[in-house]
Amino acid sequence: MGPHVNPEDPDLYALGALDEEERAAFEAHLRSCAQCADQAAAAQRRIALVGLAAEPVAVPSRVKEELMRRVRAEHRPQPEAASRGRSWRWLVPVLATSTMIFAALAAWQWTQNRDQAQQISTLRGQLADAQSRSLDIARASEDVDLVAGAPGTIHVALAPQPGTQVRSGAILYDPQSGTVAYFAHMPPAPSDKSYQLWLVPAAGAPISLGVFSGNEPMTALTARLNPGVAAKAFAVTVEPKGGRPQPTGVKILVGAVKT
Amino acid sequence: MSVAGQPVPDSALIERIMAQDENALSAVYDRYSGMVFSVLVRILKDSQAAEEVLQDLFLQLWREAQRFDSSRGSLPAWLMVIARNRAISRLRGRNRRALVETSEDLPTGYAPWLDNVEQEAARAEMVGKVKAAMREMPREQRQVVELAYFEGMTQTEIAAHTGTPLGTVKTRMRTAIQSLRQLFDDGTARQSGRS
Repeated sequence: MGPHVNPEDPDLYALGALDEEERAAFEAHLRSCAQCADQAAAAQRRIALVGLAAEPVAVPSRVKEELMRRVRAEHRPQPEAASRGRSWRWLVPVLATSTMIFAALAAWQWTQNRDQAQQISTLRGQLADAQSRSLDIARASEDVDLVAGAPGTIHVALAPQPGTQVRSGAILYDPQSGTVAYFAHMPPAPSDKSYQLWLVPAAGAPISLGVFSGNEPMTALTARLNPGVAAKAFAVTVEPKGGRPQPTGVKILVGAVKT
Repeated sequence: MSVAGQPVPDSALIERIMAQDENALSAVYDRYSGMVFSVLVRILKDSQAAEEVLQDLFLQLWREAQRFDSSRGSLPAWLMVIARNRAISRLRGRNRRALVETSEDLPTGYAPWLDNVEQEAARAEMVGKVKAAMREMPREQRQVVELAYFEGMTQTEIAAHTGTPLGTVKTRMRTAIQSLRQLFDDGTARQSGRS
């Protein structure tokens, strides 16, 4: 571990004010210094306060209305797994949904319906929802590219625990960027349960990386953490539906990081 | 959303969001969307874009509430950090890897002013104190902080933007940060001292 950083560097880092070389040096130090990593995280919370100096602007009521419409749309019976983390399995339904929506929009142009306004609103909402998921897929793809190509990426094999039906899982983790990709074959979780993926840091409490149901043949999800978090292990637990802030259920997959 | 005039704690609302309670998300939105939206508008200078980022942020909270751990940091700080990072990322065309996108798990730290602000009056008081603290800073120091925070500029970019020597910008920035630390990290003491 090199010498500690300048006292103001954590705040400069949180502000994004460090130049590229300074930033790279700081991040390199964070990877080996838990003390400075804690200071960097604390600086982020402190710097967040600066935003409160912005002049207040009222939020249009339509924003909340659209948000809650999208939330209700996600509350359909099947999407528990798709709504957690970023997953490749969204690709097919999203493309299908987008195609249907565009087709509906095209058809709508040739018809005059007395409920036009309501239909437009509904279609726009569905399109926005599909676009949002497409963005999630794009981000997941970006994450996988990043973690697969990073020189410092570590590979962790997750082994099934005795008495479980899970075959295996694998983690790719780039500590420098904080990017995690997880792949596994999982049996469907019980209807009232969810699987939850955790990073066990070298110091501190486990960090949740995402919740999923295992309803697809192949589970793949990505997540991003603070850069520089030293991982001791990864694990998958069975939790009450929706997951929990900290692990409470049985571990079904565990993999230690080799040092 | 309250019992005997006491607001429901953020941690309880998060638990309910994780259980897919739409009313809990609605309550969190009502509580914090204003402060988040104000920052987004200031950064993006585009209400439509700010609305999109705001909506996506709360939709993420709905989808991934389990990623927020109330024992490790306050919800408003989490929202502010992610919102600002996404706005800067969008402002700069995602060419620069934004700090925000890698900082969605916040350990316990300083900035006590963003804790215990479930009540509207407490939030308004906090905003007033932050504004006053920023006003107390010399104009040149406030400028470099605001250019970094709201415009996403590095120190070199600030120097070029303002026509100020880089060394001067760094000196102003470090002095400003020392002031912010003193002001914000003493928040609890200042609050209790005035009450």
